[in-house]
Amino acid sequence: MSRFRLLPLAAAAAAASLLLAGCSSAAGNEGTSATAPTDPVTGGTLTYLEQQAHTNLYPPAGGFYPNGGILNQITDKLTYQNPETLEIEPWIAESWEVSEDATQYTFTIRDGVTFSDGTPLDAAAVAKNFDTYGLGNPALKQPVSEVINNYDHSEVLDEHTVRFFFTKPSPGFLQGTATIGSGLVSLSTLAKNFDELGNATAIIGSGPFMVESEELGKQVDLAAREDYAWAPESSENQGRPYLDGITVIVTGEDSVRIGSLLSGQGDLIRQVQAYDEEQVTSQGYEVYARATNGVNDSISFHPENPLVSDLRVRQALLHATDSAEVVETLFSKNYPQATSVLASTAAGYIDLSDELEFDPQLSERLLDEAGWTVGADGVREKDGQKLELSIYESLPQPQNRQVLQLVAQQWAKVGVTLSVKAGDAGSKTTDELDPAKSPLVVSIVGRADPDVIKSQFYPTNRNSLLQAGGSAPTATFRDDTLNGLLEAETSEPNREARLAATQEVQKHLIAQAYNIPLFEEPQVYAGAPYVEGLGFEAVGRPSFYTTWLAEH
Amino acid sequence: MARYLWGRIAQAVLVLWIAFTVTFVLLQALPGDAVLIKFQGGDLNLTPAQLEEIRLSYGADESLLVQYLHAIGNVLTGDLGYSVQAGVPVTTLLAANLPSTLVLASLGFAVAVVLAVGIALVSSLTPFAWLRNVLHSVPSLFISIPTFWLGITLIQIFSFRLKLVPVIGGSTLESLLLPVLTLAVPISAPLAQVLVRSIDEVSVQPFVSVVRAKGASPSWVLWRHVARNATLPALTIAGVLLGELIAGAVVTETVFGRTGIGRITQDAVNNQDVAVLQAVVLLSALGYVVVNLIVDLLYPVLDPRITVRSGDRRANRRAGARVATGASA
Repeated sequence: MSRFRLLPLAAAAAAASLLLAGCSSAAGNEGTSATAPTDPVTGGTLTYLEQQAHTNLYPPAGGFYPNGGILNQITDKLTYQNPETLEIEPWIAESWEVSEDATQYTFTIRDGVTFSDGTPLDAAAVAKNFDTYGLGNPALKQPVSEVINNYDHSEVLDEHTVRFFFTKPSPGFLQGTATIGSGLVSLSTLAKNFDELGNATAIIGSGPFMVESEELGKQVDLAAREDYAWAPESSENQGRPYLDGITVIVTGEDSVRIGSLLSGQGDLIRQVQAYDEEQVTSQGYEVYARATNGVNDSISFHPENPLVSDLRVRQALLHATDSAEVVETLFSKNYPQATSVLASTAAGYIDLSDELEFDPQLSERLLDEAGWTVGADGVREKDGQKLELSIYESLPQPQNRQVLQLVAQQWAKVGVTLSVKAGDAGSKTTDELDPAKSPLVVSIVGRADPDVIKSQFYPTNRNSLLQAGGSAPTATFRDDTLNGLLEAETSEPNREARLAATQEVQKHLIAQAYNIPLFEEPQVYAGAPYVEGLGFEAVGRPSFYTTWLAEH
Repeated sequence: MARYLWGRIAQAVLVLWIAFTVTFVLLQALPGDAVLIKFQGGDLNLTPAQLEEIRLSYGADESLLVQYLHAIGNVLTGDLGYSVQAGVPVTTLLAANLPSTLVLASLGFAVAVVLAVGIALVSSLTPFAWLRNVLHSVPSLFISIPTFWLGITLIQIFSFRLKLVPVIGGSTLESLLLPVLTLAVPISAPLAQVLVRSIDEVSVQPFVSVVRAKGASPSWVLWRHVARNATLPALTIAGVLLGELIAGAVVTETVFGRTGIGRITQDAVNNQDVAVLQAVVLLSALGYVVVNLIVDLLYPVLDPRITVRSGDRRANRRAGARVATGASA
């Protein structure tokens, strides 16, 4: 622990040496701003280095961080989820009313909001947005958003009032309107085919920035909207953004991103590996680690697979996993050890660390009971079959290959083989839809609402357990108790009862040992010392509206 | 000459057709498909029925043979299909990416040639044996350096430490310097190797001794007599190196974050974007065919003993080889 207390000292020393070397006055500014905050400076362009190119900017596809990083600057949402309190505040909607049973939502739309092409953002535009996100538009291949459940239809009551109707209670909808997937775009954007929305210049939003130009797969240039005047009330900035523009450049190599930042070629970078954090902070640069408030970085079982269909086997593997060792060996303090299926900052979290204890003796006993005996080569077997499992690494997750290999070592100690596969996307996607070919899958999803747990485990959503009735055509396994709990969570209008239902889901998932939580996955950014006022939305996507560049 | 050219063009068409067909078969045999990879999982997570609808809209419901015939027909009319991942026609994608790769590859090749010729000339002209030994081991060193590592090292040294060239947001020239060098080093290795060897071989042939006996200076001998003869094997290698160039471009473009054919190839492989891969394979095959045709047409220019009139060429080259072995024996 003492290592981290020393870091600020080291940073101060590094800053001082920079100053001595006559390297601009940035370090000096930083020192004074800690005591007396300086006024934001307007102007300048921020160079933001992304790890991957955006794929599609249809707002419901904004969950992918490179997509969300752009969408969060160019679109506004109906409501604003305060990242500190996670409370829902007014934004494009001045106010709203929710019916008692949460089947009707009425929003009053703020006056004078326009899209960057000049068209008004009125009730009709809002209605069209949510009709599309709630129902999809098959003719244009636009899919349904995962944050909207039980959507039926909308009704425009007048220019400023819109009402949404749901087939079942949908208490998650209000928070859903604040997520990245519910960014409001112009009617002309929604009239385009899904495929065309990969082109950033096609996306017209009402956000503080607009897309100026794009070099596909390489760079996106965003420009400030001078007439922007509809920020959420709690924002310190109420006018135009301080920055003149943002240049998003795709830089895939970790070492090139870090090096560019430290040599002054970039101002902010996304995706900093834990082993690089110290290199950044020791030079006086800032590391921003944001919790993603959702389902933890974890391993889910496909219980239909015959090797893991026995509850005792799954429990044994749960207790053979030492998540503390994973965190200590591979990560930093920004990656807290998981204590439940959900992150400790997520809504509806319950501490289940007692159920998740690392206990190899218990693990071995459970495997013995289940009839898996240690063979001559140290691997357990039953009826001539060895307990050999496999899992595909998940490229977007931090150091996933190393994480899985460490877990494999831990499992080997109780006589279970885990092979970590790095297949091509086609094999991975196909195999992970077939429980016979994939006993395990890496799972994680971020969203600051209890509905996140339904997103991960419900058959027609991400279907992590590969239940029948969803994405897996051959699956026959179903846990109706789990699905009942998930449905109860997603349609329970009373908040307290809803959080309780979310806790029940977590208890059930762990009692059935469907999921092995590892750690709370953050989004980690690093920025130059002169980048001030950087904001983040509730699941860690950057917001550049209040960002400004100090003299440097 | 015209008959020879027509024959070569017919050969080229055959090569292109085979390349296209083999790729088509191989890509169809892979598990999964582009639609599945793009739309399954993540926040969009479509149902199997929805995926099927999207596949239908791409015409994937017909039998493989019909799809194949369609694809061939489309290629013949200049329609390379549609990229599922990028959501644009493949021709648009190529038009956006081909120029930057062509610039990178041709500059990379040019620098590689300069490097290789430099190594060969200095090593054959130098009076110092130690320098010659050092230079002779350079090609094996160059070919063993992984392009990936070289790129990152060059960036670390020239951009991050010395701050001479930016990797982010430099001018066109600045952004080309390090990638071109990265690409050139491994390409120069086989060229230099072959040049050095063939200069050594030609230098011991009887006609060179005659020229020397007539009182020609070492550099005159090298330029006027040896180099010309020693270029032929290097030229053959140059034709084959196109493949190295394409492979090098994939890595270089990824490390330096450049757009180009290499980058879209990598993306297309990752996402099984069949139409893009077919186009890239066709393009590379076309490149091979054209470059090798040019190389073959250049032989007689460099060596008057070689004529393009069909079979004689091989006979001539064999005769040359016999002379060489006879001389060294």
